[in-house]
This record gives sequence, structure tokens and C-alpha cells, in this order.
Amino acid sequence: MIKRWHAVAAAALVIAAVALYVVSRSTAAEPVNLTTTGSRYTATVLIADPAPGQVTVEIKVSKGDADTVALSAVMAEMGHSTPEISATMREPGRFVAVGELFPMSGVWELSIRLDGPAGEEQLAVKTLITE
Amino acid sequence: MIRVLCLAAVLVLALAAPAAAHTVTAGTDLRIAQTIAGAEVTVVVKGTTRVPGPLRIGVIAYQPVSGLPIGLEVRSVEDGRTVTGTAQAAANPQYTQLQVERTGPHELKLSAGNETAVIPFRVLVERDSAGAFLIYGGLFVAAVLLVGGLLTGATARPGRAMALAAGAAAGVTVAAMVIVFESQVPAPPPDGAAPAPAPTTSTAEGRPYVQARMETVPAQPEAGEEFTLRVDLVDGSTGRPVDDLTAHHEALAHVVVTSEDGRYFRHVHPLRTAPGHLEVRLSAGRPGRYLAHAELERENSGGQLVAADFTVGGPAKASAESGTVTESGKTGAPATQAGTTVTPRLQPAVPIAGRPTTIDLDTPAGVRTWLGMTGHLLIRGQDGRFFGHVHEMGAPGSRVRFTFSFPEPGRYLAWVQYATADRIVTVPFTVNVTAPEAK
Ligand SMILES: [Cu+2]
Repeated sequence: MIKRWHAVAAAALVIAAVALYVVSRSTAAEPVNLTTTGSRYTATVLIADPAPGQVTVEIKVSKGDADTVALSAVMAEMGHSTPEISATMREPGRFVAVGELFPMSGVWELSIRLDGPAGEEQLAVKTLITE
Repeated sequence: MIRVLCLAAVLVLALAAPAAAHTVTAGTDLRIAQTIAGAEVTVVVKGTTRVPGPLRIGVIAYQPVSGLPIGLEVRSVEDGRTVTGTAQAAANPQYTQLQVERTGPHELKLSAGNETAVIPFRVLVERDSAGAFLIYGGLFVAAVLLVGGLLTGATARPGRAMALAAGAAAGVTVAAMVIVFESQVPAPPPDGAAPAPAPTTSTAEGRPYVQARMETVPAQPEAGEEFTLRVDLVDGSTGRPVDDLTAHHEALAHVVVTSEDGRYFRHVHPLRTAPGHLEVRLSAGRPGRYLAHAELERENSGGQLVAADFTVGGPAKASAESGTVTESGKTGAPATQAGTTVTPRLQPAVPIAGRPTTIDLDTPAGVRTWLGMTGHLLIRGQDGRFFGHVHEMGAPGSRVRFTFSFPEPGRYLAWVQYATADRIVTVPFTVNVTAPEAK
């Protein structure tokens, strides 16, 4: 009798684990790590904790000597756009910007305006921001 | 068991994410009409089932072209890797195979003559569904354990047999649960898909309007000289260039240019030269006022119509077109079926404003689908303030039929267009619409 009870419990555990997996699959907010290449620069956008409100965005420039990086965002679905914020160079090719880029959850297009001896170029990546 | 497996297969197929605009995935081609080097073509990009993998690109010509080479360049927007090739435009084109290394955003650059178009698109590859894994995994485990249970039962070890049977039950339950509930859980997007909110949280429908400016370069073209018609698109809410046009009826924009009197008619598909910028080259033989109507559609939005006018100056050129001569080789040019005069039949013969009118036109054998439809009817009010575009949705046959309610009494200019094996046929006619009888 005890063995039968164990079997039922094991089956219930398996079912619970599967249910948890299926539910959690759609809700996890993962860090943003996107790369985009234009004719002059290659930029990688890293956001460890993407969410509406204040965010810290790291930009790694792996092609082209950018000396200025500025970020702004557009939510095409609603027609929202946010002011441009300047990124601070931490070391050559590594920039960090802190600001309120995504006022609400949704799909945002992050514009990256890069400038340097090679000239100016505007690149963009799209990312889903959730609460 | 077989029935369950079939059901599972059906569900897995049904769960495949719907293809969004400008994406190529196995089985879903990207088709974009372009007016390039004076030719009306449709570029077809066939998807791949894997990356690295082959991306096949063909250029279908809708008019006689003899060796129109189109330069192809596919670039990954992520790593910048670029592959190039050449396609020959033809009625039944050979497909050029280019190797793509990854999924995600890409750009296809087309060049012919001295014109260039850049079409953004995404390469998608279907991911193995986690649900499918659980369904088949659960059923497999259940099957193994059931056999084990039977064998153990046969050797008279009820305890162990019971445990195995319970395991089998768990496997079946997992599979069944996933089959039942997976349909309520969003399927994983294909690899390379654009970020999108879960369908349940997306309440916004329709993007802000496009602020469009259409102008010619030069500002006043000369009769007989080539000019460029530019369409510049700006988002009405952000002021940014609009770069999210869908391939609406197989084109980023459908532009119809007509002379005020309707004798000049061009239906063309401008090239995207930069974000928010479309261009098409045209020429007009006669001076006078011309009207341009552009149809376009933003992602997740409805269609929009943009209208403009411009003036062609200078003396008329000998090559001045008339609305009824055959002008094969010229883009979207009107043409009649060789040696025949075809007149559309209207029902009622004198259309009444606000009531449906049907328009029938006999077509020769061998009509082929163009812009996703068997036939197109373009309608312009005499003064150009009204513009309409109607489709024959049926399969190609011996006629095309359209139903349209002319909104107001008056004179309308109309053109039926369809594609045959080697050309686009345009049949112009006029319609006089009367007012409904006053009660
Ligand atoms: Cu069109």
C-alpha cells in the first residue's frame, strides 16, 4: 500500500514539475545581449536587468573607433520616443549609459548613435521590455 | 495511441508561430514587387530550415526582359557578414542560392542599372517545440514502462509492476497535459524572430499615422525626361522615419501615377533606398498635371493612402503615350490584348452611387497571379480626389470580376490590370455613376 502511495506521489511530482516548466517558460525576463553591425561600427548592447524605468545599458563597440555613443528609444507600436542620453566611455570601446530609456513595457527599438573619426552612424536593435 | 500521436502532430503544426511581415522561414517566402531598371519584377526569397543554410532568391519578371541581371547582396545586420550573387529576372526564374550563417535581421540589397534597393527582412528557423519534446517524451516513457509493467506483472512481482504502471500513467498524463494546455501557452518564437509581446498582453492595435511627402526630383520634370518620384515617410508621433512597412499585397508601397486626363497610367512599386525613403523612376511624354496615389501599410496597422500631384513641363515628346496603345517593356504601361478591343461589362450598366456595381472583363488563357491576386481594378475620381483599389480574389480563369460601390455620382477613370505569361495588361475605361433616385 505504501509503495502504491509512493508511485502516486512521484507521478504528482513529475506533473507539478512539468506544469512549472511550461508556465515559467513564458515569463522569465532575460538579460539583453544584442549585436548590430553597420557600415562603420559594430555595437553590442548589454542590459543586465531590462525593465521599465531606470536602466543601465552597456555598449561595446567592437568595430570602428567610436568616441561618442548616445542612446534613445522608440516604441513604434504606441508612437512613444524617449530623449537621447549620452553614454560615458569607461575604456576604449566600452560605454555605459544610465537613464530612463523604456518608460513602459513593450517592444522598444533602441537607437545607438555612434560618432568617431570614421564618421557618424545610427544603428538600432529591437528588444522586448517587460515588467 | 496512434490517434494520440496524430493529435500531437496536428497540435505541434498548429502551434507554429504565424509568419510576420518581412520574414523568411521554411515554407513562407518573402515576395516583394519592385520597379527596377524600368522593369516590373517580384523578388522572391525562399526560407531555410537551418542555419548555416541556403537562402534561395529568384526574380520573377512580368514583362519581356532579355537578360536583366539583378545584383544580390545579403547582409546580416548583426555581424555584418555579407554574401553576394546575381539573379536573372525571368518569367520562370532560376533561383540563386546564397549561404546564410545565422538567423535574425538581414538586409537584401538589389541592384540593377544604376538603381539600388535595400529590403530589410528576418531569417527565421523553427525551433524544436519544448511541448513536442514533452509529448513524445511522455508517451515514450509511458510505452517503455507499460511494457516493463506487463513483463514484471507476468513474472508475478505486483509491487514493482504497480510502480512501473504508475510511471506509465505519469508519462501519459504529462503528454496529455501538454497536449491540452500547450494550446493556451504561447509557442516559442522561431529562432531569429523579432521581439514581440505575448499575444495576451498586446492590446494596442494600429500604429501612428504616416506623415508622407511625395515629390519629384527634379521638382518639375520635363516631358520625355526620366525623373524620380520620392516618397518620404515620417511617423506622426515620433518624427522618426517610418521603416516598418509590411509587404502589403507583395509590395512596400503601391504607387499609381496618372495624368489628369487619365491617358497616362503607371502602377509601380518604389524601391526602399534608406529607412523611410522610397523611390521610383518614371517618365511622362506629355506636359501637364499628374496625380500620384500611394498605398502602404505599417506593421500591425491598417492600410493608408497618400496622394500628391506634380507638373510635367516642356513640349510634348513624340513618344507621348496614349492610354490604349501597347507599350510592352515600359513599366506598368497600358496595353491591349493583341488585335482585340476588350470592354468591361458593368452591372448595372449605369452604376448608382452607393450601391454595389460588378465589373466583368474577359481575359485570355494563361493569366497568372500578380501581387497576390488574379486581377486588380484601380479607380480614380475624375478630379483625382478619390482613389480605389479592388481585387479579383478568385483563381485565374476566363474572366476577372470586381464588385465596387462608387461612393458618389460623377465620372470615374478606371483601369483593370492582370498579368499574362509575358506582360501586364492594363485595360482603361471610364464609368459614369448616377445619383440614386430621390424619394
Ligand atoms: Cu501595386
